[in-house]
Amino acid sequence: MKTDDLIAGLAGTLTPIQRFNPWTRASVWMAAAAVYLAIVTAMVVVGLSHSGASSDPLYVVQQLAALAAGITGAVAAFLSVVPGRSRRVIAWPLGAVLVWLLAVLWGCARDLQSSGTLGFASQTDWPCVISISAGGVLLWAVMLSMLRRGAPVTPATTAMLGGLAALGVANVEACLTRPHAFSGIVLLWHGGTLLVMTAIFTSTGGRLLRWPSSALRATRRKSHR
Amino acid sequence: MSTPDATDEQLRFLMRCAQDGDAAAYSALLTAITPRIRRAIRSRRSFLGAEAVEDLLQEVLLSIHAARSTYDPQRPFAPWLGALIRYRLADAARQHAKQGAHEVTVDDLDVTFEGRAANTEDGSVGDVEALAHAIRALPPGQRQAIEMLKLKEMSLKEASAATGLSVGALKLATHRAMTSLRRALGATGSDED
Repeated sequence: MKTDDLIAGLAGTLTPIQRFNPWTRASVWMAAAAVYLAIVTAMVVVGLSHSGASSDPLYVVQQLAALAAGITGAVAAFLSVVPGRSRRVIAWPLGAVLVWLLAVLWGCARDLQSSGTLGFASQTDWPCVISISAGGVLLWAVMLSMLRRGAPVTPATTAMLGGLAALGVANVEACLTRPHAFSGIVLLWHGGTLLVMTAIFTSTGGRLLRWPSSALRATRRKSHR
Repeated sequence: MSTPDATDEQLRFLMRCAQDGDAAAYSALLTAITPRIRRAIRSRRSFLGAEAVEDLLQEVLLSIHAARSTYDPQRPFAPWLGALIRYRLADAARQHAKQGAHEVTVDDLDVTFEGRAANTEDGSVGDVEALAHAIRALPPGQRQAIEMLKLKEMSLKEASAATGLSVGALKLATHRAMTSLRRALGATGSDED
């Protein structure tokens, strides 16, 4: 096929399109995540769920950092499906994750000083593993469906950023509903779950978001008609 | 004589109109950026032949079409276009590497294979009339696949582009057609015997 014919075919099948605004889409996703957290908080307030909330400054810093990972991860994921945008946005959620990790490690050091143990063996935390995984998958799936409208030219990176955002919010939900006696428990069970789920999201999402193969196939079919 | 490149301002305007559904502006935009894309491909993949460059150019144009909703008219056009070219070239290189990993280079291939089935004593081409009749009797999809892939010797990619069918669908149609032809010709042969 000649290039001129292709151009004529593409122009011939042109229809008006709605512009993809990454900021609007990130806001919509964050609103959905806020509703999710509001429902969980309401369940804690009315007594349908346990409460893990604490006024400890370290706990507050951890939750704020996890929320920041959710917000910056969402913005970075949606910006990453717009070609030509700065790649520096990738560092935002990674910075928030680093702050969260430092806060948890600080808590570990404090526990060690006050109790003489990291408390790894004090409790298992499967409920948190399940709630972080389930909540993460739910929020990530919503984001993935919204990201497909863009141009995920680096699908694995986009999926990872989306995963960090979803898991950040799911981690807040898990910490709101379950008390943890030691920071070591959070580091081991929450940190481990976040690591494994991020790896799964990156590899699965990289395939689900693959671009431009599916978009090109659809476009080629249309331009040939 | 080559025409001067359109300015970024002009390209932004054309893309904005194209997003609103203006086909003429879209055609003008794609025509204006085509030489620019061709130059970019040639400078980054200087080892490619003219046909391969044209193939990549068309892939980039299709990528632009698929991603056109992501362009923000408030921002410069060149970085958006440059990113798409870069990603498309990287994607093509990955595909090429993946294909190369599954291919084996054979320097000296025997004229015939050793298997008995490949060395029959019978040198005749068979009943051409019966074959033509059997092909005509195939369902339209299978007949089209056989004509393109076996008679015209088109590649799967070319046939896919020409028909709009996926490579998988073409392979399946060809397989079914070959089975039908074998059955039809085998039946004819046994009838004659």
